[in-house]
Amino acid sequence: MEIPKRIRDKIRHAAHTAGEIFYGMTIFDWLRGLRQQRGEIERLFVLITFGDIVGLPILPPYYSLRLLPYVIPSLNRWKRSLLRERDLTDLAQLIEGVD
Amino acid sequence: MNAIVVLVIGALGIGLGYGWYARRIDRDIVQPDPKKATPAKMYMDGVDFTPASRNVLFGYQFKSIAALGPIGGPIVAAQWGWLPALLWIILGTFFIGWVQDYASIIVPMRSEGDTFGALSYKLISPRARSILLIFIYLYLLLIMGAFGQVIGVLFLSKPAVPFGILSVILMGLLAGQMTYKWKQDIILTTVITVVVAFFGIWLGQTGFISGIFEGLNNALGAGGVKIFWPIVTMIICYLGAVLPIWRWAQPTNYVSFWIIALGMLGGVIGMIIWHPSFGDFPAFTGWSVAGLGPLWPILFVTIACGAISGWHSLVSSSGTARQIEKETDALPVGGGAMFMEMALGVISLLTATAATGGWDAFKEVYASGKFGVFAVGLAAFLSHIGIPTSFGVPYGMVFLTIMGLTIMYLVVRFMRVASAEFLGDTIPALKNIHVGAIVALILSLIVIWTGVWQTIWVLFGGANQMMASLALLIVTLWLMSQGKKYAWTLWPGVFMYVTTIAALGYTGIKALMAAFAGTKVTGNIIAGVVALALIACALILGYDGGKALMRKGEAVPAK
Repeated sequence: MEIPKRIRDKIRHAAHTAGEIFYGMTIFDWLRGLRQQRGEIERLFVLITFGDIVGLPILPPYYSLRLLPYVIPSLNRWKRSLLRERDLTDLAQLIEGVD
Repeated sequence: MNAIVVLVIGALGIGLGYGWYARRIDRDIVQPDPKKATPAKMYMDGVDFTPASRNVLFGYQFKSIAALGPIGGPIVAAQWGWLPALLWIILGTFFIGWVQDYASIIVPMRSEGDTFGALSYKLISPRARSILLIFIYLYLLLIMGAFGQVIGVLFLSKPAVPFGILSVILMGLLAGQMTYKWKQDIILTTVITVVVAFFGIWLGQTGFISGIFEGLNNALGAGGVKIFWPIVTMIICYLGAVLPIWRWAQPTNYVSFWIIALGMLGGVIGMIIWHPSFGDFPAFTGWSVAGLGPLWPILFVTIACGAISGWHSLVSSSGTARQIEKETDALPVGGGAMFMEMALGVISLLTATAATGGWDAFKEVYASGKFGVFAVGLAAFLSHIGIPTSFGVPYGMVFLTIMGLTIMYLVVRFMRVASAEFLGDTIPALKNIHVGAIVALILSLIVIWTGVWQTIWVLFGGANQMMASLALLIVTLWLMSQGKKYAWTLWPGVFMYVTTIAALGYTGIKALMAAFAGTKVTGNIIAGVVALALIACALILGYDGGKALMRKGEAVPAK
């Protein structure tokens, strides 16, 4: 006996949802940590090549013009991310499962 | 009363709370717009702001907020009888808990992704942020004291436990090595490390291994055990706090997740199969409990997480709010995870009441080891799916120990960063990670060795609930500034504020009186001073908050 398509879709949807929740509880944090590390390295790289944009007294390297087209689309995000004021409560997310 | 009836009452609480009250607030007052760009999308930088699906975030949020708090609180509070504890878990979540967690996502999400530190600075006063940081530091120190006593003094000193803990930690290290260095598949890594960790827990309770630790404990003597095992706990915390996060904290937490999740799953299945009654466990034992105090206000800080927890607001604002993809996801993620935590609190209450076998059995187990009640209850549930109690009890203890340890080293990590930030310029040595970690560990050891556990637990709940009232105040101010109805956050905030000050005052005075009477002088003086410091901060906060409310009230007509 074949299961009707409507029920099959619902089962598939429920399994997908459960899978995502499970992923969120297990390795999502690992991947997020890696993504954050990569993001921080990229942020620093843009800082050492285009730091003059935010007033950092650096001599722009010769290849910064070649990189400019790749940096332009995310320039505003980069500036905001770099200059955003931070305090200790930013770190609260690191302590998961405290209570 | 039967365990299944309590589960059904809990499910009704979730159905009504989430399905009716929370949805109504979400739809009629907050009015999220799924088309509006969230900070996660607007400021996506791959570091702090990254959108994620709501199902993934639900799992992440639940894992971030649920740990020993919802397990420990109901066990301690069961001393007033099961009814007050059950009512506070359900009604606290219904009217306050989800409100705070949900609003702690909504407000930062609509305020450019600001954390509660920045929001308290902007909405209340500059010193409100400093007070929040004091709450956080004291809260974390009290966590170290409360969890450290249970883990270091009670659990690790049981001969069947240390080998299991060692296995889980070693398998955590192996998981990190396999994933990051050997580039192995995560499923293979999980299967190997989790199976070996379980084998280690089993091996730890066998006569040969537990005999070795028993011999060690005998050689140390009763006094030596209380000094040695807390030091072992602190060494584990030190390694977790100073080693790279990928090497220790992340993979150990990952392996621990499996140990804990499988235990919880087995426990719930066992409970449903067994569906025990509460026996002679009283619904209500009286208005006051010896050693703890009166039902109001102490019960309301004894069960913090599981009903309402201020720490959730910090986690939600700094982590989850910056990953929300659509505004409409805030309710299922923030509210939904809190209602799930309520379910965890109810299950924990059942391990204390239905699973222990009655009032006398509960009192006996509680007297010998506080959270040990949970281990015994879990073992009783697991025995109904074929797992022998001889393995179930040590497993329950390893379960709780590893749950506490995984938090403690992250707490030390945070404390060393906090001390470097606060005092690094005055005392440059604190900027060194080892010095910062050792200072945090020494402070923790002092609290562990000298403190009275129930007093520390109540203060821990008090600091936590004070952060909750601060979070609710910030949300109220934000709602006022937006011209939205705010009674649903204001009155829960006022209730938490008054109750917490009363609880801290009662506990602080009691601790100081005990110190003057010559009982545990150092520990009680520390507890009394911490309580008074928290009250002083709360009063300053109340003054600044009141002024901010009046400012906003004049600018916006009351609703």
